[in-house]
Amino acid sequence: MNKGYILSRLIRSIISVLIIMVIVFILVFTLVPRNSIFAKDDGFRKLATKPDEKLEYQYNIWQKLGYLEFVRSADYFQEKYEMNSPEMKEALEPGSKAAEEFKAEFEAKGYTVETYPKSGRYFAYKDIPVLKHVGIWLTNLIKIDTPWAIKDENNPELKRGLSFGTTETGGIALIGSGSKHKYLLYTDSHFPWLHQNIIKLTFGESYPTYQGLDVMDVLVDSQGKEVKRPITYATGKEASSGIIFGTLTYKPVLDRLDKQKFEDNYANFKTQKDNPSMMGISFLMGIFAVVLSYGLGIPIGLLMAKRKDKLADKLGMAFIIFTIAVPSLAYIYLFRYLATAAFDLPNVFTTYGASDVRSWILPVISLAIPSIGSLMLWTRRYVVDQTNQDYVKFAKAKGLNQGEIFRRHILKNASIPIVHGIPASLAGCIAGAIVTESIYAVGGMGKMLPSAIQQYNNTMIVALAFIFSTVSVLSVLAGDILITKVDPRISLTEKAGRS
Amino acid sequence: MSEKEELKKTSAKAASGAKEGKKKTSYISAKDSRRITKFNRKITKKLENDREEAGKDPASYTTKMRDPNNVVEFDNMCTYFFSDVGTVKAVDGISFDVPKCSTVGVVGESGCGKSVTSLSLMQLLQRPAGQTVGGEIRLNMGDGTALNIVNTPVEKMQELRGNYISMIFQEPMTALNPVFRIGRQVNEVIELHNPEMTEEEVKARTMEMLELVGIANKEGVYEMYPHELSGGMRQRICIAIALACRPGLIIADEPTTALDVTIQAQILDLLQNLKDKINSSIMLITHDLGVVAGMADYVVVMYAGRVIEKGTADDIFHHPAHPYTIGLMKSKPVVGKKVDALYNIPGSVPNPVDMPNYCYFRDRCEMHCEHCSGKYPPEIRISDTHVVSCYRFFETGEVLGYPKTVDVEGLLNG
Ligand SMILES: Nc1ncnc2c1ncn2[C@@H]1O[C@H](COP(=O)(O)OP(=O)(O)OP(=O)(O)O)[C@@H](O)[C@H]1O
Ligand code: SF4
Ligand SMILES: [Mg+2]
Repeated sequence: MNKGYILSRLIRSIISVLIIMVIVFILVFTLVPRNSIFAKDDGFRKLATKPDEKLEYQYNIWQKLGYLEFVRSADYFQEKYEMNSPEMKEALEPGSKAAEEFKAEFEAKGYTVETYPKSGRYFAYKDIPVLKHVGIWLTNLIKIDTPWAIKDENNPELKRGLSFGTTETGGIALIGSGSKHKYLLYTDSHFPWLHQNIIKLTFGESYPTYQGLDVMDVLVDSQGKEVKRPITYATGKEASSGIIFGTLTYKPVLDRLDKQKFEDNYANFKTQKDNPSMMGISFLMGIFAVVLSYGLGIPIGLLMAKRKDKLADKLGMAFIIFTIAVPSLAYIYLFRYLATAAFDLPNVFTTYGASDVRSWILPVISLAIPSIGSLMLWTRRYVVDQTNQDYVKFAKAKGLNQGEIFRRHILKNASIPIVHGIPASLAGCIAGAIVTESIYAVGGMGKMLPSAIQQYNNTMIVALAFIFSTVSVLSVLAGDILITKVDPRISLTEKAGRS
Repeated sequence: MSEKEELKKTSAKAASGAKEGKKKTSYISAKDSRRITKFNRKITKKLENDREEAGKDPASYTTKMRDPNNVVEFDNMCTYFFSDVGTVKAVDGISFDVPKCSTVGVVGESGCGKSVTSLSLMQLLQRPAGQTVGGEIRLNMGDGTALNIVNTPVEKMQELRGNYISMIFQEPMTALNPVFRIGRQVNEVIELHNPEMTEEEVKARTMEMLELVGIANKEGVYEMYPHELSGGMRQRICIAIALACRPGLIIADEPTTALDVTIQAQILDLLQNLKDKINSSIMLITHDLGVVAGMADYVVVMYAGRVIEKGTADDIFHHPAHPYTIGLMKSKPVVGKKVDALYNIPGSVPNPVDMPNYCYFRDRCEMHCEHCSGKYPPEIRISDTHVVSCYRFFETGEVLGYPKTVDVEGLLNG
């Protein structure tokens, strides 16, 4: 196998993911009318009686999401005049000389200048063209944390540097000062044991749901109730809290409570919640479903191939045709109804939450059913196909019996395409859980996607598109690497390709 | 039906050729088709049961060679396929011998039943549709006894395959398992039939075989995969596998058809040399008369599932007696060169589902005489070694007997 080839495939994968994201971004930010993003925002609706505040709120959100640049005349004059000074008051009056200057200046800069509906004051805005919007977004996509990241005018004394040390929980850490995160690298007792805060993907702020959070955090932070445990802060103060020390970030202004807990300015943190993150739930569910579908689909498919045209084969075929012909929505509802009637299982995930095995059983089976069907079909097809190959005839002529031929020769050959498909199945189960997660109210990415679309959470849509396309593209690459391990005829090389 | 009418019908059939035969078989009514399916199910079930019963009793498959100097004797063997269009009598009552340490060439045009003959000997027919329904195939076990392959149970066959009888196939490109190294594939057959050998002994034998088949870089090839070798090399590996257990008989079913001409000669030479080295016989199936002329001691000419002429290579090449063989020889150019002339005889083979009850070659025969309208000609001995099935020698030769066919309907009822 060729490392150069894999690297170039990886780069191509990244490029294709970027292209997908840019397309999704442009579609979402141009086709979704920008007024409709407020439809599900309660805070916005409360402002219905205050037209000036409402307008300002609207333009502020648009500015935050990168649609436009927004300048209030009040902010503009604040730089020129003293707060509450008579000049200031005069300037703000509609029709004043200063106000007209504001208008002339910003119109000259290409802004559109309009007036508030009630006060009649001016404000200016300039639309950001979508390509520039994409460009800004892309340059902010990857954030690298360094000791020079924090620029706090109130804290000129802030030391900048890196050192090795330990965390409050005793893990080894690369500690930053002047960086956004306190612990740039650290170990703890949680999977995957070594964590990093140096490189972060930021997709932008979530709106209108999960306001104020970066969408990536919404997807990767644990959800639910805080899990409290007895802890000791750096100051020696003991408490019961769900704090994750590894997530400590710089806080410019410390309050009294912060000072009791922390010796430095790193006082913002995330807490441990009782349910896995959306991404975690979706990945776990995908892995369980893939394990289940391979665990059942392959043995049944093998059995069907061995009993070709017999009863077992026909029953299996009936099942396959059922899962292909009937829409998954229909049989998942049917299955949920039958299973909850027959067993004491919850019909939604939220009844017992992620920590209870019972919550997982029905969603995982529902997610696995379609892949079980197709795996049965493909396994059967590959084995039957191999059975008719010349090498099987030759193996018989060597004197091997049916069992030996099946175990030694057919299985290995038939497993090649099956192994090739494993990563793609996993990707399919992670990205394809939209129906299942919605039906069972599972708090994963699959449920997030339709609700993000309904709520016009554009940033979230783009982030999900990124995750799903990354998973799919990487799974294709992983499949191609995996197949070289089982099929000696295939090698990944730049020039020859498959030989 | 009067004689005239029959003649008209058959000549019309001959004129329109193979298409007619095909058309006829594809116009089976739904009712007939159901009848055939039902019949096939019944008969194959009965045959499988009979075979299982026979396999339980060694007496039913141990027998004696007619001549202990033969490796294999085919005695009126009939192999039929119970297909959806009816019973295909692919091989119908053939008899010939493979003497020890000799090469027997089996020739005949495509579809005449050469491969079916060899597969019957290996019991590799596609069962349950393909069945050897009559006759005997006697395999000399070398200790005075013989096995009747027709009734031998599968477990016993597995001991014989690759060990007493080996087979080399036409397609070396696909005969080897693509995902295993060459060494492992040769080792496999040696281990299977010599469980007492240690790993080192097995490997040593494999190396010896690789050397025997003329592989220069044997250590390297041992570790290679089939796709890393050329077609000729792969066929050498197949030969190494086939000969690894020193079988008494090697069946080579068109072993060189897929290879180019220069390689063909090398592979055939190799086979011939190795055969002498390990004292085995070769049953060489081919279209190519040139190959047969160069290698074979005896020749069997098949036509439409029957042997129509057999004898020494000299008999067949220099004194062909059957009009079909004569036709073949006429179109044969210099010995050693490949010919595709087998197809140059006008007319075509009768439909195997519905064979006529007179000489199968009559509709294409330029020499037919008055006897020829009668039933299928018997085997007639015209010299010590030369036997032909043709009425032209009815008066002069010694009539040995008629090929036996099997009445499948009767098989079911009695
Ligand atoms: N599986 C099968 N089912 C039905 N009929 C079959 C089957 N295999 C062979 N036959 C029939 O048996 C006849 C003889 O086939 P066979 O393969 O022995 O011919 P061949 O002499 O080896 O021809 P070729 O030179 O093309 O290899 C054919 O006419 C074919 O119709
Ligand atoms: S038996 Fe008659 S028809 Fe048949 S080959 Fe001989 S001469 Fe021709
Ligand atoms: Mg053949």
